Amino acid sequence: MQHLLPLAAVLPLVAGALVPAVAWRRPDRAWGWAVAAGSGTLVVTALLTLRLLRTGPFSYPLGGWAPPWGIELRFDALSALSLGIAMIYLAVLVFSRRYAQSAVAPQRRAWFYSLLLVNLGGLVGFACTADLFNMFVCMELVSVSSYALVAAGGGRIAALAAFKYLVAGAVSSMLVLFSVGILHALTGSLNMADVAVRLADVEARGPVLLAVGALTVGFMVKAALFPLHLWLPDAHASAPGPVSAVLSALVVKLGVIGLVRVLPLFTGLEWLSLAPLQEALAWLGAIAIVTGALAALLQEDIKLMLAYSTVSNVGYIVLGIGLATPPAVTGGLVHVLNHGLIKATLFLAAGAIIYRTGYRTLRDLRGVGRMMPWTSVALSLGVLSIVGLPPTAGFLGKWYIALGAFEAGRPGFAIALLAGALLIFVYYLRILNALYFRAPLREEMLAVREAPVSMLLPVLALALLCLLGGLFGSGPVALAARAAAALAGGG
Amino acid sequence: MTGSWQNLDYFAFVALFCIGLYVVLAKSNLVKKLLGLNIMETSVFAFIVTSGMVDGGTAPIVGPGVTGPFASPLPHALILTGIVVAVSITALALALIVEIKRQCGTIEADELKGLD
Repeated sequence: MQHLLPLAAVLPLVAGALVPAVAWRRPDRAWGWAVAAGSGTLVVTALLTLRLLRTGPFSYPLGGWAPPWGIELRFDALSALSLGIAMIYLAVLVFSRRYAQSAVAPQRRAWFYSLLLVNLGGLVGFACTADLFNMFVCMELVSVSSYALVAAGGGRIAALAAFKYLVAGAVSSMLVLFSVGILHALTGSLNMADVAVRLADVEARGPVLLAVGALTVGFMVKAALFPLHLWLPDAHASAPGPVSAVLSALVVKLGVIGLVRVLPLFTGLEWLSLAPLQEALAWLGAIAIVTGALAALLQEDIKLMLAYSTVSNVGYIVLGIGLATPPAVTGGLVHVLNHGLIKATLFLAAGAIIYRTGYRTLRDLRGVGRMMPWTSVALSLGVLSIVGLPPTAGFLGKWYIALGAFEAGRPGFAIALLAGALLIFVYYLRILNALYFRAPLREEMLAVREAPVSMLLPVLALALLCLLGGLFGSGPVALAARAAAALAGGG
Repeated sequence: MTGSWQNLDYFAFVALFCIGLYVVLAKSNLVKKLLGLNIMETSVFAFIVTSGMVDGGTAPIVGPGVTGPFASPLPHALILTGIVVAVSITALALALIVEIKRQCGTIEADELKGLD
């Protein structure tokens, strides 16, 4: 029971490393193994979350070395996101079976699942770590596996997009590592709680400012916050369907979680006010909401549309964090989870449609709603949810962020939020229109069959969660409010 | 403290970091971009390794008759991990460059732009 916390990250990592061995003679075993590891991770994170609810945050010293000397894993309210991560990941892994059979070359398939599991392990580890360098290592596990996953399907655009993503990602990683080095040089510690305490006595202003700046910019690139989002659309649109879902739903959240983890380190410094930084974040978030939505409006390709919508939604989350009032930060963190659920639903549904039809532009996909009714229902649910219509998951986060904007005395930001929602509504009307109300342009559409069960099941389950996430949202909101307390106090 | 001359090496690392960033952003050849990335990585690694240095410190090996001060061994351990990450990123990037060359016939970023 006590060793459950490291297990949450170690289980998928070890399982991922073993995939090529398991699938050595029997390639079809890779999928079953990956799903088993994914389910195991889900069970472990669920148990950890239960324990969190019962006893409050708890930590685990890796290797028995007590913090601040050893590496500390800590499961707090923010780490509870790992339950959502594991849930979304399990759906993606189940979905991957048929998709990988068509999109990934046979000799690469074992590696494909291996990379997915390593990615999952890195994400869970990132959410649960209390050590700066360990955070960097988990971030790199996630990033490097993501670069490779983008290119997993092959194709010229995918390789180029993966390279672009790699360069942007590696530069941002180095910025983060550089700041970790500065913080270690200043305080002599890597444990986050310890660094926060020791940083309060640091006199040298230059290095501290450099560290804050480099950390913020580094995590902004990871989160694809405007204007550092240029790597995102190609990478997310040209990756295989399940990978797009993971990247958009979970991997970009790394930057957000990172920001929420490191900004409180600097709240103890008397001479340093984070207010200008938060103001800048709020503005960038507001601009990202509108520009992301506008760019999505101009796309014909359904996956590019969804990718730009991610840019817009990261804007919402960062706006919430930048406003720094308790409801706004709560809303931002709730949206981290809910946007994950919604975007995974959307990308998986789009992936199922592309798998069956082979087309990806709205023109070509006209009329598919009648041929693939269940997938289209799931897609529509996701669409309604991301617009933020009241009973769905997307509504919660936006509502709290808007409340926070009013509480901060900045109703202008609430207007930006509303404008973004309206724009999103327009481009999702386009999707619904193409799915249901236009006559098919292509004859093949009439012969298209519903997606296979192994794809339909995870998509429908996620779509249901989008709906339930709004109806029974009090649990995540309570947890997010607890996690928000650390950040909102400093504003 | 004898002024900022003591920290001259830190300024050198920041300068090296900026040179690497410039190469990444300005060069059109993908291999050169990767080299720039490696320069950045090296500057960060060198910075962290030197931050473990203690004036007059010796290697942190405890034995009979050995007294401090010792240099901090932790940054070296960190950077070993960092180097592993950097090597894997470089390997992956080179593999991607080979793939791009095979599929598009060029590895110049400005020529690739037209192909999209």
